[in-house]
Amino acid sequence: MSADWDVAVVGAGAAGLTAARVAAGAGLRVVAYERLGPGGQLVNLTTLHDHPGGTGPELTAALTAAAEGAGVRLAYAEVTRVQPGPPTRLTTSEGEVTARVVVVAAGLSPGRLGLPGEAELAGRGVSTCAACDGPLFRGRPVAVVGDDEWTATEALELAGHATAVTVLVPGEPRWSAARDRLLAAQQRVEVLTGAAVTALRGEGALSGVAVRTADGERELAVAGVFPFVGRRGPGGLVEGLAADADGRLVPSAGVLVAGDARAGADQTLAAAEADGRAAGEAAVAALAAGAGSLRVVDPTHGVRPEPAGAGAVAASTAAWTDVALFTNSKPNATELLRGLGGRLQAHWALPELGFAAKESASVAADPDQIDWLAQRFKMVLVAVGD
Amino acid sequence: MELERRGVVAPLVVTETFLPLVQAQARARRVDPRLLVVPHPVGGLTPDELAGRVEGAAGDLLRMADEARGRP
Ligand SMILES: Cc1cc2nc3c(=O)[nH]c(=O)nc-3n(C[C@H](O)[C@H](O)[C@H](O)COP(=O)(O)OP(=O)(O)OC[C@H]3O[C@@H](n4cnc5c(N)ncnc54)[C@H](O)[C@@H]3O)c2cc1C
Repeated sequence: MSADWDVAVVGAGAAGLTAARVAAGAGLRVVAYERLGPGGQLVNLTTLHDHPGGTGPELTAALTAAAEGAGVRLAYAEVTRVQPGPPTRLTTSEGEVTARVVVVAAGLSPGRLGLPGEAELAGRGVSTCAACDGPLFRGRPVAVVGDDEWTATEALELAGHATAVTVLVPGEPRWSAARDRLLAAQQRVEVLTGAAVTALRGEGALSGVAVRTADGERELAVAGVFPFVGRRGPGGLVEGLAADADGRLVPSAGVLVAGDARAGADQTLAAAEADGRAAGEAAVAALAAGAGSLRVVDPTHGVRPEPAGAGAVAASTAAWTDVALFTNSKPNATELLRGLGGRLQAHWALPELGFAAKESASVAADPDQIDWLAQRFKMVLVAVGD
Repeated sequence: MELERRGVVAPLVVTETFLPLVQAQARARRVDPRLLVVPHPVGGLTPDELAGRVEGAAGDLLRMADEARGRP
């Protein structure tokens, strides 16, 4: 099967950049289509919660550099149609291309209330980015609409600027108990459950919203409203591919879906990266067809990072004769480590070297394995990435 | 990186291409790993080419190891 690309990725957010990087790192010809700029949702985030990646822009820069460094071609165009193959045919704003495998990592659309006047008021009180627009509402009240973890974090961020933040939850909150405690501790935040926004008020700029709750309809005077409801996946983009009620795609043979765009996805950065990595590996596996694409992969990938400020813990009691190699089970990683380990063994006249291997790069390193290495060895040589 | 945090000397073998990513991950984890950088790629190399990678990195590894152990 001849095709323009081995792998075409739709969307260069956390999931797409990771998938593309993994596939290109294995020597495949990879293009990643992005209609805006790389990073996706990440570029809107300053503080990243539940993720060790610094700020959104920093993580974007790192993911983009890694993808480009691995040989990914970033193409700034919108993909408007995907026809599964072989080869898969992609219609883009820059023309048609073919690929042997496609990874759809197009994320979700921004939040939307679906009310009259919403489009006209975008940027004039209606926003989906607290980090970008929060400061505009300093000293004024705002509302946030949604029920998930990120609705809560956005509300907390806005509480740093606005005089009052009313969180309008359509049903019951789905955010974690920890986030709930933070909201409860914020004097400026009020959470209304079973609340539906029925109208936007204001000419030229938002002046309020109409809200219906079990107690009836009321007017809420706010200068800003931040909707995190109504986000939709790329349903309909891929011919013949099923989608859930929110337009998120159900992967099927020949079409890989990664990140928020996938039905059932966790909608966190960690999940998007793990999904991207798995999709990249699945693309490599699909195209491997016996080719020797051996790679050294990061055996520590997925190990839960420590919270900021956590210091080093006590050194193990192992001696300098206790040295081990820790690798993924891919043969070339093992050989590289054995070669280097052999030199050290000769240099220090070590009787033997310990050895541990992580089974798959896409799963977290087994904490027990890390425990064992940490307790038993003074030095461990780790193979990370090619 | 987790191992180093637990007091184990844990040099990471990384190719040039992935150096920025590993450094970004390290910054995010607030650790300063010992890095052993080898030319990209590693996968798919012949035994001779692989031996070249070992040759190229061995000097750095031994220096790093001696330093960690406190030996000249
Ligand atoms: C307000 C908010 C705050 C959040 N905060 C956190 C947090 O603190 N911690 C955390 O872990 N998670 C957080 N999340 C979740 C996290 O941001 C997402 O799960 C993750 O970024 C999803 O990555 P993705 O690559 O799947 O999708 P996206 O980041 O949405 O990327 C998809 C990309 O595809 C592009 N695209 C879409 N369609 C096409 C097309 N047809 N052609 C070409 N390009 C296309 C888009 O432009 C976009 O760049 C937050 C989410 C929100 C909404």
